[in-house]
Amino acid sequence: MSRKPEKLIDKKGLRLDGRKPDELRPIKIEVGVLPNTDGSAYIQQGKNKILAGVYGPRELHPKHLALPDRTVLRCRYRMAPFSVQERKSPAPSRRDIELSKVIREALEPSVFLEYYPRTGIDIHIEVLQADGGTRCASITAASLALADAGIPMQDLVTACAAGKVDNTIVLDLMDTEDKEGGADVPVALMPNLNAITLLQMDGILSLEEFEKAANLALEGCRKIYPMQKEALKAKYVSVKEVEE
Amino acid sequence: MSLQSSGRKSGRFVLPGERLGVIEEFIPDAGTYVRDGVIHSRVVGRALLDLLNKRVSVYPLVHGAKVPKNGSVVLGQVSNVQTQNATMRIFQIDKKQLSGFFTGILHISDVRLRYVESMFDVCKPGDILRAKVISEKNRTYHLSTKDKNLGVVHAFCLRCGYMLELKRQEMRCPRCGKIEKRKAALDYGEGAM
Ligand SMILES: [Zn+2]
Repeated sequence: MSRKPEKLIDKKGLRLDGRKPDELRPIKIEVGVLPNTDGSAYIQQGKNKILAGVYGPRELHPKHLALPDRTVLRCRYRMAPFSVQERKSPAPSRRDIELSKVIREALEPSVFLEYYPRTGIDIHIEVLQADGGTRCASITAASLALADAGIPMQDLVTACAAGKVDNTIVLDLMDTEDKEGGADVPVALMPNLNAITLLQMDGILSLEEFEKAANLALEGCRKIYPMQKEALKAKYVSVKEVEE
Repeated sequence: MSLQSSGRKSGRFVLPGERLGVIEEFIPDAGTYVRDGVIHSRVVGRALLDLLNKRVSVYPLVHGAKVPKNGSVVLGQVSNVQTQNATMRIFQIDKKQLSGFFTGILHISDVRLRYVESMFDVCKPGDILRAKVISEKNRTYHLSTKDKNLGVVHAFCLRCGYMLELKRQEMRCPRCGKIEKRKAALDYGEGAM
Protein backbone atom coordinates (compact mmCIF):
# COMPACT_ATOMS: atom_id res chain seq x y z
CA MET A 1 0.00 0.00 0.00
CA SER A 2 1.09 3.55 -0.55
CA ARG A 3 2.97 5.18 2.29
CA LYS A 4 2.83 8.86 2.89
CA PRO A 5 6.00 10.32 1.42
CA GLU A 6 7.86 12.76 3.65
CA LYS A 7 8.28 15.39 1.02
CA LEU A 8 6.08 15.90 -2.04
CA ILE A 9 8.58 18.28 -3.60
CA ASP A 10 12.32 17.66 -3.39
CA LYS A 11 15.19 20.11 -2.95
CA LYS A 12 15.50 20.66 -6.68
CA GLY A 13 11.87 21.68 -6.83
CA LEU A 14 10.78 18.50 -8.61
CA ARG A 15 7.72 16.45 -7.73
CA LEU A 16 7.41 12.77 -6.82
CA ASP A 17 7.23 11.71 -10.45
CA GLY A 18 10.01 14.09 -11.48
CA ARG A 19 7.76 16.78 -12.95
CA LYS A 20 8.33 20.50 -12.60
CA PRO A 21 5.54 22.33 -10.74
CA ASP A 22 3.96 23.64 -13.94
CA GLU A 23 4.30 20.44 -15.95
CA LEU A 24 1.44 18.22 -17.14
CA ARG A 25 1.51 14.44 -16.98
CA PRO A 26 2.01 12.72 -20.34
CA ILE A 27 -1.32 12.70 -22.20
CA LYS A 28 -2.53 10.38 -24.92
CA ILE A 29 -5.92 10.93 -26.53
CA GLU A 30 -7.73 8.84 -29.11
CA VAL A 31 -11.10 9.55 -30.73
CA GLY A 32 -13.62 7.03 -32.07
CA VAL A 33 -12.48 3.99 -30.11
CA LEU A 34 -15.93 2.46 -29.51
CA PRO A 35 -17.73 1.55 -32.76
CA ASN A 36 -20.99 0.71 -30.98
CA THR A 37 -21.46 4.27 -29.77
CA ASP A 38 -22.31 7.38 -31.76
CA GLY A 39 -19.14 9.05 -30.54
CA SER A 40 -16.32 8.08 -28.22
CA ALA A 41 -12.90 9.01 -26.90
CA TYR A 42 -10.15 7.51 -24.77
CA ILE A 43 -7.75 9.49 -22.64
CA GLN A 44 -4.64 8.49 -20.81
CA GLN A 45 -3.34 11.18 -18.51
CA GLY A 46 -0.49 9.89 -16.39
CA LYS A 47 -1.89 6.70 -14.91
CA ASN A 48 -5.51 7.71 -15.54
CA LYS A 49 -7.22 5.62 -18.17
CA ILE A 50 -10.69 6.80 -19.07
CA LEU A 51 -13.21 5.88 -21.77
CA ALA A 52 -16.10 8.13 -22.76
CA GLY A 53 -18.97 7.12 -25.03
CA VAL A 54 -21.92 9.15 -26.31
CA TYR A 55 -25.31 7.95 -27.54
CA GLY A 56 -27.83 10.17 -29.16
CA PRO A 57 -29.65 12.35 -29.76
CA ARG A 58 -32.35 9.72 -29.47
CA GLU A 59 -35.81 9.29 -28.04
CA LEU A 60 -35.70 9.76 -24.31
CA HIS A 61 -37.00 7.05 -21.99
CA PRO A 62 -38.81 7.40 -19.63
CA LYS A 63 -40.68 9.81 -21.87
CA HIS A 64 -41.85 12.19 -19.15
CA LEU A 65 -38.26 13.40 -18.73
CA ALA A 66 -38.24 14.84 -22.23
CA LEU A 67 -38.31 18.62 -22.58
CA PRO A 68 -40.35 20.33 -25.32
CA ASP A 69 -37.69 22.89 -26.23
CA ARG A 70 -34.36 21.11 -25.89
CA THR A 71 -32.50 17.86 -25.52
CA VAL A 72 -31.76 16.39 -22.12
CA LEU A 73 -28.09 15.75 -21.46
CA ARG A 74 -27.48 12.82 -19.14
CA CYS A 75 -24.12 11.82 -17.78
CA ARG A 76 -23.03 8.66 -16.04
CA TYR A 77 -19.58 8.58 -14.47
CA ARG A 78 -18.44 5.26 -13.03
CA MET A 79 -15.22 3.83 -11.72
CA ALA A 80 -14.39 0.23 -12.51
CA PRO A 81 -13.89 -2.02 -9.46
CA PHE A 82 -10.25 -2.49 -10.51
CA SER A 83 -9.58 1.21 -11.09
CA VAL A 84 -8.19 1.85 -7.61
CA GLN A 85 -5.77 -0.02 -5.33
CA GLU A 86 -8.45 -1.51 -3.15
CA ARG A 87 -11.44 -2.96 -4.92
CA LYS A 88 -14.17 -0.39 -5.34
CA SER A 89 -17.74 -1.57 -5.05
CA PRO A 90 -19.30 -1.52 -8.52
CA ALA A 91 -22.43 0.14 -7.14
CA PRO A 92 -22.45 3.88 -7.83
CA SER A 93 -21.03 5.69 -4.83
CA ARG A 94 -22.05 9.16 -3.68
CA ARG A 95 -18.89 10.44 -5.32
CA ASP A 96 -19.78 8.82 -8.67
CA ILE A 97 -23.20 10.43 -8.62
CA GLU A 98 -21.81 13.83 -7.68
CA LEU A 99 -19.13 13.69 -10.35
CA SER A 100 -21.73 12.69 -12.95
CA LYS A 101 -23.57 15.89 -12.15
CA VAL A 102 -20.43 18.04 -12.06
CA ILE A 103 -19.24 16.72 -15.42
CA ARG A 104 -22.68 17.16 -16.98
CA GLU A 105 -22.84 20.76 -15.83
CA ALA A 106 -19.36 21.43 -17.16
CA LEU A 107 -20.33 20.12 -20.61
CA GLU A 108 -23.87 21.50 -20.86
CA PRO A 109 -22.92 25.09 -21.81
CA SER A 110 -20.91 23.82 -24.78
CA VAL A 111 -23.76 21.92 -26.45
CA PHE A 112 -26.54 23.46 -28.56
CA LEU A 113 -29.28 21.74 -26.59
CA GLU A 114 -32.12 23.44 -28.48
CA TYR A 115 -31.25 21.70 -31.77
CA TYR A 116 -32.93 18.44 -30.82
CA PRO A 117 -36.05 19.07 -28.73
CA ARG A 118 -37.68 16.12 -26.93
CA THR A 119 -34.60 13.91 -27.25
CA GLY A 120 -31.84 12.78 -24.96
CA ILE A 121 -28.07 12.55 -25.22
CA ASP A 122 -26.35 10.05 -22.95
CA ILE A 123 -22.71 10.36 -21.96
CA HIS A 124 -21.10 7.34 -20.36
CA ILE A 125 -17.73 7.72 -18.68
CA GLU A 126 -15.88 4.65 -17.51
CA VAL A 127 -12.77 5.12 -15.39
CA LEU A 128 -10.58 2.07 -15.97
CA GLN A 129 -7.70 3.29 -13.87
CA ALA A 130 -7.70 6.28 -11.56
CA ASP A 131 -4.75 8.39 -10.47
CA GLY A 132 -6.13 11.75 -9.41
CA GLY A 133 -7.79 14.34 -11.58
CA THR A 134 -10.27 11.94 -13.16
CA ARG A 135 -13.03 14.54 -13.32
CA CYS A 136 -10.91 16.81 -15.50
CA ALA A 137 -9.68 14.02 -17.74
CA SER A 138 -13.29 12.78 -18.02
CA ILE A 139 -14.53 16.19 -19.15
CA THR A 140 -11.75 16.43 -21.75
CA ALA A 141 -12.63 12.98 -23.12
CA ALA A 142 -16.41 13.40 -22.95
CA SER A 143 -16.27 16.66 -24.89
CA LEU A 144 -14.33 14.90 -27.65
CA ALA A 145 -16.88 12.08 -27.66
CA LEU A 146 -19.67 14.65 -28.14
CA ALA A 147 -17.81 16.22 -31.07
CA ASP A 148 -17.20 12.74 -32.51
CA ALA A 149 -20.95 12.08 -32.33
CA GLY A 150 -21.50 15.09 -34.58
CA ILE A 151 -23.48 17.02 -32.00
CA PRO A 152 -23.40 20.77 -32.71
CA MET A 153 -21.35 22.52 -30.08
CA GLN A 154 -20.32 26.05 -29.23
CA ASP A 155 -16.83 24.91 -28.38
CA LEU A 156 -14.90 21.97 -27.02
CA VAL A 157 -14.40 21.78 -23.28
CA THR A 158 -10.93 21.22 -21.87
CA ALA A 159 -10.33 20.63 -18.19
CA CYS A 160 -7.29 20.62 -15.95
CA ALA A 161 -6.62 20.96 -12.24
CA ALA A 162 -4.02 22.81 -10.23
CA GLY A 163 -3.41 22.71 -6.50
CA LYS A 164 -1.13 23.31 -3.59
CA VAL A 165 1.48 20.78 -2.54
CA ASP A 166 4.07 21.57 0.15
CA ASN A 167 3.27 25.29 -0.16
CA THR A 168 3.91 25.28 -3.90
CA ILE A 169 1.25 25.76 -6.54
CA VAL A 170 1.47 22.82 -8.96
CA LEU A 171 -0.34 21.76 -12.13
CA ASP A 172 -2.22 18.49 -12.79
CA LEU A 173 -2.12 16.73 -9.44
CA MET A 174 -1.70 12.98 -9.29
CA ASP A 175 -3.34 10.82 -6.65
CA THR A 176 -0.73 11.13 -3.86
CA GLU A 177 -0.45 14.87 -4.32
CA ASP A 178 -4.22 15.16 -4.34
CA LYS A 179 -4.56 13.22 -1.07
CA GLU A 180 -1.55 14.57 0.81
CA GLY A 181 -1.43 18.04 -0.65
CA GLY A 182 -3.18 21.15 0.59
CA ALA A 183 -5.74 22.04 -2.03
CA ASP A 184 -7.09 21.23 -5.47
CA VAL A 185 -8.68 23.57 -8.02
CA PRO A 186 -10.24 21.84 -11.06
CA VAL A 187 -11.11 24.17 -13.95
CA ALA A 188 -12.93 23.49 -17.22
CA LEU A 189 -12.55 25.92 -20.09
CA MET A 190 -14.07 26.51 -23.51
CA PRO A 191 -10.79 27.59 -25.11
CA ASN A 192 -12.07 29.51 -28.13
CA LEU A 193 -14.74 31.43 -26.26
CA ASN A 194 -12.45 31.82 -23.25
CA ALA A 195 -15.30 30.85 -20.94
CA ILE A 196 -15.02 28.80 -17.76
CA THR A 197 -17.65 26.08 -17.34
CA LEU A 198 -16.36 24.51 -14.13
CA LEU A 199 -14.46 25.94 -11.21
CA GLN A 200 -14.22 24.10 -7.93
CA MET A 201 -11.96 24.31 -4.94
CA ASP A 202 -11.21 21.60 -2.44
CA GLY A 203 -8.98 22.60 0.49
CA ILE A 204 -7.77 25.91 1.80
CA LEU A 205 -6.01 28.55 -0.27
CA SER A 206 -5.35 32.21 0.27
CA LEU A 207 -6.77 34.61 -2.29
CA GLU A 208 -3.40 35.01 -4.04
CA GLU A 209 -2.79 31.27 -4.04
CA PHE A 210 -6.23 30.65 -5.46
CA GLU A 211 -5.67 33.13 -8.25
CA LYS A 212 -2.32 31.58 -9.04
CA ALA A 213 -3.76 28.05 -9.01
CA ALA A 214 -6.73 29.00 -11.21
CA ASN A 215 -4.47 30.71 -13.74
CA LEU A 216 -2.10 27.74 -13.76
CA ALA A 217 -5.04 25.38 -14.37
CA LEU A 218 -6.24 27.58 -17.25
CA GLU A 219 -2.73 27.43 -18.70
CA GLY A 220 -2.94 23.64 -18.42
CA CYS A 221 -6.25 23.65 -20.33
CA ARG A 222 -4.66 25.67 -23.12
CA LYS A 223 -1.86 23.09 -23.32
CA ILE A 224 -4.34 20.19 -23.52
CA TYR A 225 -6.55 21.79 -26.20
CA PRO A 226 -4.04 21.29 -29.07
CA MET A 227 -3.88 17.61 -28.12
CA GLN A 228 -7.69 17.37 -28.36
CA LYS A 229 -7.49 18.96 -31.78
CA GLU A 230 -4.78 16.56 -32.91
CA ALA A 231 -6.86 13.60 -31.73
CA LEU A 232 -9.88 14.69 -33.79
CA LYS A 233 -7.66 15.48 -36.75
CA ALA A 234 -6.11 12.02 -36.56
CA LYS A 235 -9.52 10.44 -36.97
CA TYR A 236 -11.13 12.76 -39.50
CA VAL A 237 -8.36 14.03 -41.74
CA SER A 238 -6.65 11.81 -44.35
CA VAL A 239 -8.09 8.57 -42.94
CA LYS A 240 -11.52 9.12 -44.40
CA GLU A 241 -13.16 12.04 -46.05
CA VAL A 242 -16.83 11.45 -45.35
CA GLU A 243 -18.83 11.18 -48.54
CA GLU A 244 -22.10 13.02 -49.21
CA MET B 1 -19.60 24.21 -57.16
CA SER B 2 -16.00 23.45 -58.15
CA LEU B 3 -14.93 25.93 -55.53
CA GLN B 4 -16.94 24.03 -52.95
CA SER B 5 -15.66 20.59 -53.85
CA SER B 6 -12.07 21.74 -53.77
CA GLY B 7 -12.74 23.40 -50.44
CA ARG B 8 -13.90 20.09 -49.02
CA LYS B 9 -10.41 18.77 -49.41
CA SER B 10 -8.31 21.87 -48.95
CA GLY B 11 -10.39 23.93 -46.51
CA ARG B 12 -8.95 24.55 -43.09
CA PHE B 13 -9.74 21.82 -40.55
CA VAL B 14 -11.84 23.37 -37.80
CA LEU B 15 -13.25 22.24 -34.47
CA PRO B 16 -16.46 23.44 -32.84
CA GLY B 17 -15.91 26.94 -31.51
CA GLU B 18 -13.15 27.93 -33.88
CA ARG B 19 -13.32 31.50 -35.11
CA LEU B 20 -14.10 31.86 -38.82
CA GLY B 21 -14.55 35.59 -39.20
CA VAL B 22 -16.86 38.44 -38.25
CA ILE B 23 -20.36 39.19 -39.56
CA GLU B 24 -19.11 42.41 -41.14
CA GLU B 25 -17.04 40.42 -43.65
CA PHE B 26 -19.03 37.20 -44.16
CA ILE B 27 -22.58 35.85 -44.14
CA PRO B 28 -22.70 32.86 -41.79
CA ASP B 29 -23.95 29.71 -43.54
CA ALA B 30 -24.39 26.01 -42.66
CA GLY B 31 -22.33 24.61 -39.80
CA THR B 32 -21.68 27.95 -38.14
CA TYR B 33 -23.08 30.11 -35.38
CA VAL B 34 -22.68 33.73 -34.41
CA ARG B 35 -21.79 34.97 -30.97
CA ASP B 36 -21.08 38.64 -30.25
CA GLY B 37 -20.66 39.36 -33.94
CA VAL B 38 -18.04 36.66 -34.40
CA ILE B 39 -18.70 33.62 -36.60
CA HIS B 40 -17.68 30.30 -35.08
CA SER B 41 -17.83 26.72 -36.33
CA ARG B 42 -20.25 24.40 -34.56
CA VAL B 43 -19.05 21.04 -35.94
CA VAL B 44 -15.84 19.23 -36.79
CA GLY B 45 -15.25 19.94 -40.45
CA ARG B 46 -13.56 22.03 -43.09
CA ALA B 47 -14.11 25.77 -43.31
CA LEU B 48 -15.28 26.94 -46.74
CA LEU B 49 -14.77 30.59 -47.54
CA ASP B 50 -16.82 31.68 -50.54
CA LEU B 51 -15.13 34.97 -51.31
CA LEU B 52 -17.40 35.62 -54.30
CA ASN B 53 -20.66 35.55 -52.35
CA LYS B 54 -19.03 36.48 -49.04
CA ARG B 55 -20.28 33.36 -47.33
CA VAL B 56 -18.59 31.17 -44.78
CA SER B 57 -19.73 27.65 -44.00
CA VAL B 58 -18.32 24.46 -42.50
CA TYR B 59 -18.45 21.23 -44.46
CA PRO B 60 -18.96 18.58 -41.75
CA LEU B 61 -16.52 15.68 -41.54
CA VAL B 62 -18.67 13.93 -38.95
CA HIS B 63 -21.78 12.09 -40.00
CA GLY B 64 -24.03 11.93 -37.04
CA ALA B 65 -26.70 13.42 -34.86
CA LYS B 66 -29.65 12.41 -37.06
CA VAL B 67 -33.23 12.95 -35.97
CA PRO B 68 -36.30 12.38 -38.17
CA LYS B 69 -37.27 15.44 -40.20
CA ASN B 70 -40.12 16.18 -42.56
CA GLY B 71 -39.40 14.26 -45.73
CA SER B 72 -36.84 11.84 -44.34
CA VAL B 73 -37.26 8.21 -45.33
CA VAL B 74 -37.13 5.98 -42.29
CA LEU B 75 -36.95 2.27 -41.63
CA GLY B 76 -38.41 0.67 -38.53
CA GLN B 77 -40.13 -2.23 -36.91
CA VAL B 78 -43.90 -2.19 -36.40
CA SER B 79 -44.58 -2.47 -32.69
CA ASN B 80 -48.34 -2.13 -32.39
CA VAL B 81 -51.28 -2.21 -34.80
CA GLN B 82 -54.82 -1.02 -34.24
CA THR B 83 -57.65 -0.59 -36.75
CA GLN B 84 -56.81 3.07 -37.44
CA ASN B 85 -53.13 3.38 -36.47
CA ALA B 86 -49.87 1.53 -36.41
CA THR B 87 -46.85 2.54 -34.35
CA MET B 88 -43.32 1.74 -35.29
CA ARG B 89 -39.84 1.95 -33.84
CA ILE B 90 -37.65 3.88 -36.25
CA PHE B 91 -34.09 2.55 -36.22
CA GLN B 92 -32.75 4.01 -39.45
CA ILE B 93 -33.05 7.51 -40.91
CA ASP B 94 -31.95 8.22 -44.49
CA LYS B 95 -29.73 5.10 -44.44
CA LYS B 96 -28.09 6.10 -41.16
CA GLN B 97 -28.41 3.52 -38.40
CA LEU B 98 -29.45 4.94 -35.02
CA SER B 99 -28.07 3.90 -31.67
CA GLY B 100 -31.50 4.32 -30.12
CA PHE B 101 -34.89 4.61 -31.74
CA PHE B 102 -37.68 7.07 -32.37
CA THR B 103 -41.38 6.27 -32.35
CA GLY B 104 -43.47 6.99 -35.44
CA ILE B 105 -47.18 6.70 -36.13
CA LEU B 106 -48.80 5.62 -39.39
CA HIS B 107 -52.46 6.55 -39.74
CA ILE B 108 -54.75 4.59 -42.01
CA SER B 109 -55.42 7.65 -44.19
CA ASP B 110 -51.71 7.91 -45.02
CA VAL B 111 -51.22 4.32 -46.15
CA ARG B 112 -52.39 4.45 -49.78
CA LEU B 113 -53.94 6.93 -52.17
CA ARG B 114 -57.08 4.82 -52.30
CA TYR B 115 -59.30 3.74 -49.41
CA VAL B 116 -57.94 1.22 -46.92
CA GLU B 117 -60.42 -0.67 -44.81
CA SER B 118 -58.30 -1.85 -41.89
CA MET B 119 -54.78 -1.30 -40.63
CA PHE B 120 -54.49 -5.07 -40.15
CA ASP B 121 -54.36 -5.38 -43.98
CA VAL B 122 -51.36 -3.03 -44.06
CA CYS B 123 -48.85 -4.36 -41.56
CA LYS B 124 -48.51 -6.58 -38.51
CA PRO B 125 -46.34 -6.30 -35.40
CA GLY B 126 -42.77 -7.32 -36.14
CA ASP B 127 -42.80 -6.27 -39.78
CA ILE B 128 -40.03 -4.07 -41.12
CA LEU B 129 -41.56 -0.99 -42.70
CA ARG B 130 -40.19 1.81 -44.84
CA ALA B 131 -42.04 5.12 -44.55
CA LYS B 132 -41.68 8.83 -45.03
CA VAL B 133 -41.99 11.43 -42.26
CA ILE B 134 -44.81 13.85 -43.13
CA SER B 135 -45.17 15.75 -39.87
CA GLU B 136 -43.36 16.19 -36.57
CA LYS B 137 -46.21 17.92 -34.79
CA ASN B 138 -47.62 16.97 -31.41
CA ARG B 139 -44.36 15.36 -30.26
CA THR B 140 -44.77 12.43 -32.62
CA TYR B 141 -43.45 11.58 -36.03
CA HIS B 142 -46.35 11.03 -38.44
CA LEU B 143 -45.52 8.71 -41.29
CA SER B 144 -46.84 7.97 -44.75
CA THR B 145 -46.46 5.02 -47.12
CA LYS B 146 -48.20 6.66 -50.11
CA ASP B 147 -45.57 5.63 -52.64
CA LYS B 148 -44.74 2.40 -54.42
CA ASN B 149 -41.30 2.39 -52.84
CA LEU B 150 -42.74 2.70 -49.35
CA GLY B 151 -44.41 0.04 -47.26
CA VAL B 152 -43.50 -3.29 -45.71
CA VAL B 153 -40.08 -4.55 -46.79
CA HIS B 154 -40.02 -7.66 -44.61
CA ALA B 155 -43.02 -9.45 -43.12
CA PHE B 156 -43.40 -12.49 -40.94
CA CYS B 157 -46.04 -15.21 -40.87
CA LEU B 158 -48.50 -14.70 -38.06
CA ARG B 159 -48.83 -18.43 -37.51
CA CYS B 160 -45.27 -19.76 -37.70
CA GLY B 161 -43.03 -16.68 -37.84
CA TYR B 162 -41.40 -17.57 -41.17
CA MET B 163 -40.62 -14.79 -43.64
CA LEU B 164 -43.49 -14.25 -46.05
CA GLU B 165 -43.05 -14.30 -49.83
CA LEU B 166 -44.75 -11.86 -52.15
CA LYS B 167 -46.48 -13.56 -55.07
CA ARG B 168 -49.01 -11.86 -57.31
CA GLN B 169 -50.19 -9.22 -54.82
CA GLU B 170 -50.42 -11.92 -52.19
CA MET B 171 -48.31 -12.66 -49.13
CA ARG B 172 -47.77 -16.33 -48.72
CA CYS B 173 -45.88 -18.26 -46.08
CA PRO B 174 -43.58 -20.78 -47.83
CA ARG B 175 -43.60 -23.03 -44.75
CA CYS B 176 -47.20 -23.31 -43.62
CA GLY B 177 -49.01 -21.84 -46.60
CA LYS B 178 -50.86 -19.11 -44.71
CA ILE B 179 -51.95 -16.18 -46.87
CA GLU B 180 -51.83 -12.66 -45.44
CA LYS B 181 -52.31 -9.08 -46.57
CA ARG B 182 -49.73 -6.28 -46.51
CA LYS B 183 -49.02 -2.92 -48.11
CA ALA B 184 -45.69 -4.03 -49.53
CA ALA B 185 -42.96 -1.83 -50.93
CA LEU B 186 -41.85 -2.39 -54.53
CA ASP B 187 -38.59 -4.01 -53.44
CA TYR B 188 -40.24 -6.31 -50.87
CA GLY B 189 -37.90 -9.04 -49.62
CA GLU B 190 -34.95 -7.87 -51.72
CA GLY B 191 -32.96 -6.07 -49.06
CA ALA B 192 -30.67 -8.01 -46.75
CA MET B 193 -32.03 -8.71 -43.33
ZN1 LIG C 1 -46.26 -19.67 -41.69
